[in-house]
Amino acid sequence: MWIAGYEKNVAYPNPDGVIGRRDSMHTQEQGQQAAARTRRKLVEAIRRIALGCEGSANKLGIGVIAHEDGGEAVVLSNVRHTFVSPPGTGFLPKDTARHHRAFFVRVAKQALADARVSVADVDCVCYTRGPGMGGPLSSVAIAARTLALLWGKELVGVNHCVGHIEMGRAITGAENPVVLYVSGGNTQVIAYAEQRYRIFGEALDIAVGNCLDRFARTLEISNDPAPGYNIEQLAKKGGRVLLDLPYTVKGMDCSFSGILARADELAALMKAGGVGPDGEPITPADLCFSLQETIFAMLVEITERAMAHVGSKQVLIVGGVGCNERLQEMMGGMAAERGGSVYATDERFCIDNGIMIAHAGLLAYETGFRTPLEDSTCTQRFRTDEVFVKWRR
Amino acid sequence: MAMATPGEDQDGFPCALTINVPFPSARLASVAHRALGVDKELSALVQRQLSTTTPTPAEKDETVLRIEYKATTNRMLRVAVNSFMESLALVLEVMAELDVDVLEQQQQQQQDRT
Repeated sequence: MWIAGYEKNVAYPNPDGVIGRRDSMHTQEQGQQAAARTRRKLVEAIRRIALGCEGSANKLGIGVIAHEDGGEAVVLSNVRHTFVSPPGTGFLPKDTARHHRAFFVRVAKQALADARVSVADVDCVCYTRGPGMGGPLSSVAIAARTLALLWGKELVGVNHCVGHIEMGRAITGAENPVVLYVSGGNTQVIAYAEQRYRIFGEALDIAVGNCLDRFARTLEISNDPAPGYNIEQLAKKGGRVLLDLPYTVKGMDCSFSGILARADELAALMKAGGVGPDGEPITPADLCFSLQETIFAMLVEITERAMAHVGSKQVLIVGGVGCNERLQEMMGGMAAERGGSVYATDERFCIDNGIMIAHAGLLAYETGFRTPLEDSTCTQRFRTDEVFVKWRR
Repeated sequence: MAMATPGEDQDGFPCALTINVPFPSARLASVAHRALGVDKELSALVQRQLSTTTPTPAEKDETVLRIEYKATTNRMLRVAVNSFMESLALVLEVMAELDVDVLEQQQQQQQDRT
């Protein structure tokens, strides 16, 4: 998933998921030796452990994380199962909720087995409170509540966006970056200030990932493993021609529904045998390439605006769309021009997962935050800046 | 065991259903009661009451989860009850597979093998 030419500007996660500050690239062997030393230390050190359950969209993720006394966070397990709908369709709430209910026990058992922890070791059960789709969120919350009650543990409700941000920070070690959070459900430019993750700019209508997912439906591209991934692969075959799409940046914000409408029109034109500006027939690769170039340039612009505003040189990209190598490349180019760097994680952590919920939840738990059972509901709308980030200065 | 009572207009919610779900122990009935009781009913046209009760008047342990539904129409009642059943099934599966004793037994088996 990594682009060799941008090593200077892109930070890599540690190979086996052990999170720590990275100043230089280890060799594989050095990395393994370091991981073995950490594991030995952990056995003796006091640590807190959390189980995290995520299900706000079509990914069901359950993970177990440990926080060592010295502050280091270790991924003990990270298991995910994705609900993939047939090409030409999207995932509907009822079917997605059914999927999560059907797979919860299986995924939870795998996560506990991989982590090799017992119920006694676990300090709290974390779950995604929101934002996201109502039915899927609730189905996971019910299971999380049941676990908490059976095991006699406390619950921690976590904001999905904060989960992404905290996991990105932990994995990459970025100090105080501008965060670009881009996924199927969310598009926000975020910067931390005085114990809140402040939203500097966002999508005004639909998320950038939603634009990609819905366009994939128009082209009837497979949703396996993810529609955005398949658009990316198709786009790599494009580049011969850049089709004209609206470019809709509005100050710090951006908008994607108009671009989607125009892209759908061009797709219809293509099916009718239409030609591009160079007289050649339009291909799906041309459409995917043009769409990506346009929307990613917009994201780079609003991120750069936030960086200038805040005076930051670091960008952290989180969320499923953050896996896209072209987006990382374009962002890397912009950051390099400003003498800065881009941080991103691989698909274990940028696609929705349970470990980010466990990590953010445990951070909150360690400051004394609890979600009483009666309040352990879910909500479809949950702004990133609603969370009081007590664990940071 | 479910009992449906048709007819009689009780303050605008004529369609009613009572479901009694037996559990092996009072602890499990209580866990189900607390886990399922948090979410409010989605529609104003449906009312739901959760409680625990004893299987017969003679017994002491409240091992039965009782759910009493009242709805404006049979269709609303059916939709609400079906949805509840799916959540209940999940709770039961979690209890059966992920309770403390079940996990301990599995870990013991793993250790015995190694």
